[in-house]
Amino acid sequence: MTLSILESLLEQVRNHGENYYPEEGVGVFLGVVTGEVRSVVQILPLSNTFEAEARRSRYLIDPKDMLTAENEAERRSLEVIGIFHSHPDHPARPSAYDLSWALPWYSYLITSVLGGAASENRAWRLAEDRSKFLEEKVQITQDIPQEVK
Amino acid sequence: MNNLIRVPTPLRPYTDGLKEIEVMGTTVRAAIEDLTHQFPGLKSHLYDPDGNLRPYVNVFINEDDVRDLKGQETPVSNGDRLMILPSIAGGGVSSELRPVDHSALRTNQAAIIGLLIGSFIGDAALIVGLTGLIMLVGTLLGVPGFKSFYRILNRYRLLKPNLIYDNPQPHRFAQGVGGMVLALSSLAFLGGLTTLAWVLAWLVIALAGLNLFAGYCVGCGLYYGLNRLGLRGFDRSPPPGTFPGRRPTAQSG
Repeated sequence: MTLSILESLLEQVRNHGENYYPEEGVGVFLGVVTGEVRSVVQILPLSNTFEAEARRSRYLIDPKDMLTAENEAERRSLEVIGIFHSHPDHPARPSAYDLSWALPWYSYLITSVLGGAASENRAWRLAEDRSKFLEEKVQITQDIPQEVK
Repeated sequence: MNNLIRVPTPLRPYTDGLKEIEVMGTTVRAAIEDLTHQFPGLKSHLYDPDGNLRPYVNVFINEDDVRDLKGQETPVSNGDRLMILPSIAGGGVSSELRPVDHSALRTNQAAIIGLLIGSFIGDAALIVGLTGLIMLVGTLLGVPGFKSFYRILNRYRLLKPNLIYDNPQPHRFAQGVGGMVLALSSLAFLGGLTTLAWVLAWLVIALAGLNLFAGYCVGCGLYYGLNRLGLRGFDRSPPPGTFPGRRPTAQSG
């Protein structure tokens, strides 16, 4: 399982997490799926709509924002392939709360933002039995996928 | 009556890849039940074990969230568009772990060991007292006593930060315990109990050495033991997967 992402897009993801610090930043990935590889073509940074006082450790994407993302994906002949969010001053590992809210199939990229500076990035996918997350390899690329060109 | 229900991307593997499915039912509840009847693999992702819709499942009828209408009892009329939209949520661990610079802690331990061994060699009891004082002041301020020395090493790039997700409180406690032992050592010097004084100083050297070279903080282990006993003021548990007192491994970057 691999999440392939352009270096420039990953930098935008990291910047988004830094800009939202000390709250959790969030967004979605639009891209294409080829076998076990998901290739990110576009990112959509979104608003964290969780209650303000809890945003340091919680995020929520409004379903209407997801509708917008789905419509944008359809317009560009892409798919919503994953979610990115940041963990302020916490490791880039999913929490029990992440697990309880996780959807199958999506790739979840977590960025650890330490003291306002983006640190590690790790990607995860929900196991079929919902018992845990399985780590995905993050492949950083310099060029967009051939399938999208 | 038949209507179409649109399923989000993550659930399409359970609908044979179909984006829209024809469902029967005069209410939202009946429509979704028909959906899971057609595609049983969807059920565990839409419903929790108690049969309630999972919190991330939102159902829209046309442009309206059914929660704003009559919930799952919202009537479905011919031509209505049903859509399952996920709420995407999650979040970090709500524990109190924070990045702790273990390079600063190691510098502290090295400085303590160096000064105490130097004081033993030079028979300088005053250095023992001063070292203890620096440790106690550091404990009161919540920082490693020799943090200024570490900052110099850091400024001249002689040492890089090593940030690890950890609890700072046990390390502060351990420094305080070491400072108290050196204070007792100083009192022993003042009372003419020189042998006892050096034994206490060497105890601190040994414990600091165990921490610096073997990654085990006895004072931290003591803190976590008091935490297990439920003592007030010792409210931090060891980082997940870490033996109490051992240096954690979860890097923070």
